[in-house]
Amino acid sequence: MSALTLGQELRAGAAEFPGRQAVVAPDRTLSYSELDTAADRVAGALVELGVRRGDRVALVLPNCADMAEAIYGVARAGAAFTPLNPTIKEAKLARVLDHAGVTAAICDEDRRPMVAAAAKRIGEVTVIADVSNLESAKTPTLAEPLDVDIAAVIYTSGSTGDPKGVTVTHRNMTFAAGSIVEYLAMSHEDRILCVLPLSFGYGLYQLLTCVRARATLVLENGFAFPGRVVQTLEREEITGLPGVPTVFGVLTSLQGLAERELPHLRFLTNAGAALPASAISEVRRTFPSARLYSMYGQTECTRVCYLPPDQLDARPTSVGIAIPGTEVWIEDDHGDTAAPGEVGELVVRGSHVMQGYWRDEDATAARLRPGRWPWERVLATGDLFRQDAEGYLFFVGRRDDLFKSRGEKVAPQEVEEVLYGVPGVREVAVVGVPDRLLGQAVCAHVAPESGLELDAGELRRRCAEQLESHMVPRRVIFHAALPRTPNGKIDRNALSEG
Amino acid sequence: MNEADDADVRRGLRAFIEDNFLYLRPDVELADGDDLLALGILDSLGFVELVEEVQARYGLSVDDVEITEENFGSIDAIVAFVSRTRSKE
Repeated sequence: MSALTLGQELRAGAAEFPGRQAVVAPDRTLSYSELDTAADRVAGALVELGVRRGDRVALVLPNCADMAEAIYGVARAGAAFTPLNPTIKEAKLARVLDHAGVTAAICDEDRRPMVAAAAKRIGEVTVIADVSNLESAKTPTLAEPLDVDIAAVIYTSGSTGDPKGVTVTHRNMTFAAGSIVEYLAMSHEDRILCVLPLSFGYGLYQLLTCVRARATLVLENGFAFPGRVVQTLEREEITGLPGVPTVFGVLTSLQGLAERELPHLRFLTNAGAALPASAISEVRRTFPSARLYSMYGQTECTRVCYLPPDQLDARPTSVGIAIPGTEVWIEDDHGDTAAPGEVGELVVRGSHVMQGYWRDEDATAARLRPGRWPWERVLATGDLFRQDAEGYLFFVGRRDDLFKSRGEKVAPQEVEEVLYGVPGVREVAVVGVPDRLLGQAVCAHVAPESGLELDAGELRRRCAEQLESHMVPRRVIFHAALPRTPNGKIDRNALSEG
Repeated sequence: MNEADDADVRRGLRAFIEDNFLYLRPDVELADGDDLLALGILDSLGFVELVEEVQARYGLSVDDVEITEENFGSIDAIVAFVSRTRSKE
């Protein structure tokens, strides 16, 4: 039987290429057989600690070998992993742990005090800070999951400010990974450099697609020192580099990179946010021998579409066509299929579509709609698109206030709630403003109580204490009063343009 | 290049980091040898800003592979990098 679950895919990879590098992390390197053995070890230890099939296990880790072991260990134990941004703060972590109803949380030593404090707020959560030393006394009986069992609950910002837990099965994940491997033509000879956090869907799928293709994943913990990334591209003979516009913006601004040969680098992928046409030209000038794939996706189905690189000259700002094995179409306000050129909501059909939002039936019903068959549901993306006459897709905009900064979602309401908690703040509106490196920068418009003066640095500091780093406003602009629409609501459009 | 210049660079860098980044972390007493990334003082975009500032302020041209932890990881590292690079130019 072919591999249907994440655990089976890793097992098959280890059987085929036991000695091949699976993960090259800053701390250590794991071969396929080592990763497979580690997954068994972690799964066994989790079962001994009381983790049961279908339980949720939170992962609060930076990019490291432990993270890869934890992902496959949790999956093989039959539980679902919940990867969380390693810059998450205690109060929000406690909310998410509670919402997901986790049995255990896995982190590193640095984060242990914060994670333990969050776990303590909600009660019975086992905190594990050293995955690589987890041992199980005997080989426990693992209840291996079916492909219809849940594999992950991935939290993503929601427009109400409360994060939503995208719930996916093994089938959802292995199908999506297989489709991506197919259009990128990935093989066991690929070596992918991942500077994106594994806690983020786009980063996580670098690991899943590498294992699917029996390729090697080279992990960097972020992108702070681009010189290190350039050295890694050369030294590790990287063949594929996934990025978001911020990553490509930094790389194309470096002196000397365009003159480097990088003979192994065969492809680049962009997702998270669109690359403007000017940035696409810069990327192609900097990496003339690599093919660039412009893609669009959302956590709810991982990836929606990709532009075959041979179409980049003809339609540089398109995000292309549906990924292999899936369908997409655009619906107008009446639910009818939109004509070419007409703007409507993009709808997605295929085995990659999530099962729903964890414990949130209303939000699920809003996005998963009746499909072609009575039992089927399709994903309404909430994003507006148009198609050209040949069927290529163009992103037009979002239906809600969310925006992307550094390729990651920002819920204005979540930032506004923190700012409203600061004494002296009367009114707040958070908007995205265009930024060369960030795509959109978080900008907070604040009206203080009359007669009061607030300090922009203090407001940013309060945000930094409570929010993940990409949500902290880069700019704070003070107003006597915020502009209003004729209906009396805060006029966000006026502020975005201002 | 002399020690007086180094002290000048050190003062300027510290002021820049304090004004732009450190106020977000009032709990941190930053020493010149401290790891700016590990302490969470700077993130990837912070380093981009810092490298731009060093290039503009000291008239240096920083190559792609030079933007590493060894050269930009702490105030001490940057002072040494500026000093080395200036003496080459």
